[in-house]
Amino acid sequence: MSVLVANCPSCGAPVEFKSGQSIVVICGYCRSAVARTDRELKDLGKVAELVETGSPLDVGLRGRWKDVPFELTGRAQLGHEMGGQWDEWYATFANGWLGWLAEAQGRFYITFQYPIPEGVQVPSFDQLQLGQQVPGLPWPTPLMVAETGRATALGAKGEIPYLLTPGATYYYADLSGANSAFGTLDYNETPPLVFLGQQVTLADLGITTTRAPEREERHVGAAQLSCPHCGGPLELRAPDKTERVTCPNCNSLLDVNQGQLQFLKALEKPSFQPSIPIGTTGDVPEGKMTAIGAMSRSVTIDGTQYFWSEYLLYNPQIGFRWLVQSDDQWNYVRAVPPGEVTESGKSAKYQHQYYRVFQDAQCTVECVLGEFYWKVEAGEKVRGVDYVRPPHMLSKEVSTVYVTEGSKQRRTTGEINWSLGTYVPVKQIEKAFSVTGLPRPTNVAPNQPYKYGWIYKYWLIFVLITLLVGFLTFTVSGSTKQVFSQTVSFAPLPNEDGTQVFFSEPFQLEGRRNIRVTGQSPVQNTWVYLEGDLINDETGVVQSFPIDISYYQGVEDGEAWSEGGQSDSAYTSSMPAGRYVLRLEGQWEKWQEPATVTVKIEQNVTHAFNLLVALIVLSILPVLMIFYQISFERRRWSESSVDSGDDSDDDD
Amino acid sequence: MLKKLYTIFAVGVVSLYSIGAMLGWEITSPTRRQLPPDARQNGYRSFHFWHYGLHGGK
Repeated sequence: MSVLVANCPSCGAPVEFKSGQSIVVICGYCRSAVARTDRELKDLGKVAELVETGSPLDVGLRGRWKDVPFELTGRAQLGHEMGGQWDEWYATFANGWLGWLAEAQGRFYITFQYPIPEGVQVPSFDQLQLGQQVPGLPWPTPLMVAETGRATALGAKGEIPYLLTPGATYYYADLSGANSAFGTLDYNETPPLVFLGQQVTLADLGITTTRAPEREERHVGAAQLSCPHCGGPLELRAPDKTERVTCPNCNSLLDVNQGQLQFLKALEKPSFQPSIPIGTTGDVPEGKMTAIGAMSRSVTIDGTQYFWSEYLLYNPQIGFRWLVQSDDQWNYVRAVPPGEVTESGKSAKYQHQYYRVFQDAQCTVECVLGEFYWKVEAGEKVRGVDYVRPPHMLSKEVSTVYVTEGSKQRRTTGEINWSLGTYVPVKQIEKAFSVTGLPRPTNVAPNQPYKYGWIYKYWLIFVLITLLVGFLTFTVSGSTKQVFSQTVSFAPLPNEDGTQVFFSEPFQLEGRRNIRVTGQSPVQNTWVYLEGDLINDETGVVQSFPIDISYYQGVEDGEAWSEGGQSDSAYTSSMPAGRYVLRLEGQWEKWQEPATVTVKIEQNVTHAFNLLVALIVLSILPVLMIFYQISFERRRWSESSVDSGDDSDDDD
Repeated sequence: MLKKLYTIFAVGVVSLYSIGAMLGWEITSPTRRQLPPDARQNGYRSFHFWHYGLHGGK
């Protein structure tokens, strides 16, 4: 690293180029941008004082990235054409690398300049489309255009590795890709400069700044201001980030510029009353957050206007989050990098999971209250597409702003924002924000989880347990044991209503073993019916059972048929162990003829009927719940404005 | 709530089935009766049993 010490051409104070890659150094005394050229130092003009953004970073701070130490040697503050600013920090690495560390909305992105590969032609700024992939970039994952805009160099500090001219503007496009990939196309030169890298945390960068706590301390506190329109008191809860605020006294829409309020216009009396009052702090999954703004938005589908409310939550350590109240259903929403989401047809994929499209419509801001980190106003329109996978909803908002310069229309800014909403029950919102009486939903939310899905899992578990018990019973309890067998010959009956009775010799039955009695008779186109009784010789307990043997066969229209069989069985529960007699009372169709029946009694027989009944009983509720779930899903999708089909509901 | 109820119900069903399997119960088992004392004393072979089956044929 070659150090060049010289005098500021504007004020004569000493300026120091610590890094050999620095092109411009900001004079610490007069804030002149001093550029070094081949022959001399050049005064590029004075830069504005940096706007305090509450950044935990500062020039001189050291860190480590990929095991290479670096030092933040410069900072530039750039203004967005539509308002607001962001910081870019320049990291000079010990091995000669030069990194760009961008900071916006509390997020950090480290990038390095990459040469454009030979043969690759990066699209011009005017050719760029939001959401398009930029081919040929030297990065392992595809990068898509997430934002386009025009930046203005506002202020700077320390050493800058390019020719920063105060007030100069340039076009840029931010790129986003999977695995937190991030990039910038800088159209300050032709072809554009390509910077590629990824979103990082300060911990990733090995930065443990001691400045952060005191800065956070200062910025957690709200700023007390007066409304320039009515003079009433006004509190900014996120003074570093707020771009727009409405006066709670006169309902004026105010522009916030570096802590200064400027009256824009008087708004109509808000048409909606926030369910969560502005300023309320609640416990959300990520920590305590304060509702600093609320807006009402609408969408028109088939001529009907539907409204919903959105609450902007803020915590300096966490950043911004949203609560969305639609049809009295609630969602907790956070932004996700656009490059992490891939859309294909009627589905979107995020973190290996597919989401089905639910709605695609133009959304309009109807009313705003409180603070916002962008220059929001009533009438602002974006295209919104919602994809659902309960309990989550993936939402895309595409906003593009055009201005007319002369006869030509120019896109000033365009942005794709993706967010992930998570369904939150109303009761949880009431508890988190200590509010009561929130209206209860009457319909099914697009991403409302079906809360009885567990029953299928439970059903499967219990079915498997039952089958296991059944299997063990059949295999472990031993084999079937025949305890009685005899062929009984009945003499002809006196008339067709008569019966013949047979009593067996006593035999032993074991306890705790089920019983099967089988009767077999060589009947042909006739029947034999037996009423059986197992009589305990000692206790007089009688177990009755029927045996119905009937077998018919014939040929009809050239086709043979048969019905019934020459045997029948009856099952009875186990009986107490003891001595038993079998009584059979027989009756048969051809009563004039004798009848022969072979009777067999077995114990410990395999019989799946009990198992079948147990499985059916276990399945009654799950089957009913299937019908309920079908009805639930019908109600959900009846609210969809898109025919999504059903081709993309699988996990990756 | 439903989760708890179904779990209790299902555990009951599985338990009942397991006990039934161990004790040799049959759901379809017809009613069991007791011979009257006089039938036992006089000999049940002449006792008129309680049948109501297919007498008369089909």
